[in-house]
Amino acid sequence: MTTVLRAETIAAGYNASRIVDGVSLTVNAGEVVAVLGPNGSGKSTLIKTIAGLIPLSAGTVTIGAEDVSGLDASARALAGLAYVPQEHNVFREMTVWENLALAYEFLPRARADSTEVMALFPVLNDRLAVKAGRLSGGERQMLAFACALIARPKVLLLDEPSAGLSPRYVEEIVATIQQVSASGLGVLLIEQNAAAALKIASKAIVLVAGQVRHAGSADEIARDESVRKLYLGGED
Amino acid sequence: MLSQTLVNGIATGLVTALPALALTLVFGVMRFANFAIGATLTFGAYAAYYFNVGLGLPLFVSAVISAAITAALCVLVNRLVYQNLPGASGITLLVASMGVAFLLENFVRFIYGNSVRGYQIQAVRPWRLLDLRISQEQIVNIAVALGCLALIWLLLYRTSMGRAMRAVADNPSLAAARGIRPARVISGTFALSGALTGLAGVLIGVDGAVEPLSGYNYIIPVFAAAILGGIGDPVGAVVGALVLGVVEEMSSLVLPSTYRSGIAFVVMAVVLMVRPWGLFGTEPIKK
Repeated sequence: MTTVLRAETIAAGYNASRIVDGVSLTVNAGEVVAVLGPNGSGKSTLIKTIAGLIPLSAGTVTIGAEDVSGLDASARALAGLAYVPQEHNVFREMTVWENLALAYEFLPRARADSTEVMALFPVLNDRLAVKAGRLSGGERQMLAFACALIARPKVLLLDEPSAGLSPRYVEEIVATIQQVSASGLGVLLIEQNAAAALKIASKAIVLVAGQVRHAGSADEIARDESVRKLYLGGED
Repeated sequence: MLSQTLVNGIATGLVTALPALALTLVFGVMRFANFAIGATLTFGAYAAYYFNVGLGLPLFVSAVISAAITAALCVLVNRLVYQNLPGASGITLLVASMGVAFLLENFVRFIYGNSVRGYQIQAVRPWRLLDLRISQEQIVNIAVALGCLALIWLLLYRTSMGRAMRAVADNPSLAAARGIRPARVISGTFALSGALTGLAGVLIGVDGAVEPLSGYNYIIPVFAAAILGGIGDPVGAVVGALVLGVVEEMSSLVLPSTYRSGIAFVVMAVVLMVRPWGLFGTEPIKK
């Protein structure tokens, strides 16, 4: 299986403090890897570091065969990485159409024809002239997701895509993640809703205080009683 | 009388709108108030003076060359000064821009001295329309300013570069994650800002005179216009400049004209106290 993302012993943080320390993971094409853990465990810092928004203190990040450790976020996007933040994931003062246009205008590998992607999010077709800031939370998440997919990435980084959404939108988001992953895209998924994440992931890591405490297949993690009780809120 | 004041106010406001737009565009992508906008305006006025009076080129050609040179100057200043202060706060960059203003203004004084100069333009009788008296300079200024504003609107709202500028102003991290290179967008913004400010310097020189304090005298109205509209909002800067221009002219009906710059200062102070996000800005969310 082709590895699309490899992070090796990466460390990062703010100022002198290390929020993430020595984390390694790999994402293969067509698989979803879930990053779980309690609040403040460094999940968002990890994903921002991989996206190039927080500088690496140590370790390497590779996208496909390209070492992108020394590159900034825009260069990593050009290398094939798409990142959907948990919040502020669309340009609120721009229309839906402008957001979609920006998603491909600066990325040579992106698809100018968004028909295929828009078929996944039909709700957006009627809202093209609406400012993104006026969309509902679920619609905004759909738009952010659509923008990421238009970029035709090798790997997709999703930071809590279901946070604050109604159950209907959560179902849609989960179904879309499964669909795009089945088409060969590698997905790194950070999710508070551990049960939902483990259902669609093939592998998972549990992050505690910035370090990997458990790693394995999603089934193993889901069955591990200690992991469930200590870090995943004892969910069934 | 009132309609004449309104026309004068619109003419003044449209010229002020160009540097106000330049200020707000740079603030949008860099998050600092570029104090050097006044000195840049003076530089533009003198650059056109050199080509128009020094080399004898037509004023229109001189203005275009001046806009291009001022744009290049702003890109160079960004590379040499602001880009060498990575991670600096808005206040640090503001102070750095004060240093740039000091250098530019004194460079102009060193070359041309302190005397007041003027472009080579033919004096033409003002047009009379009903009770209105409109000078040819006012008509040229209004037409050029409107043309520039229309071009900038097209650039910002109809081109990918404009979308990138607005994206970086809105959310720089997300813009970077979408493959937009912030350094390139910032350079483009400085170039646009320089061209607008340089051209405004020429228009101010056409309507009045070319002098080392041309730009300095416009700093408060330019800042007031950008703040009134909501700093960082391009449409707001233009509307803010128009409102301010009209208010300033109206004030001359009841106050001595020496108080005009004070009006801009009062408008700026009141907006900052009552609605600091301006007419078109959005109130920041308090967490």
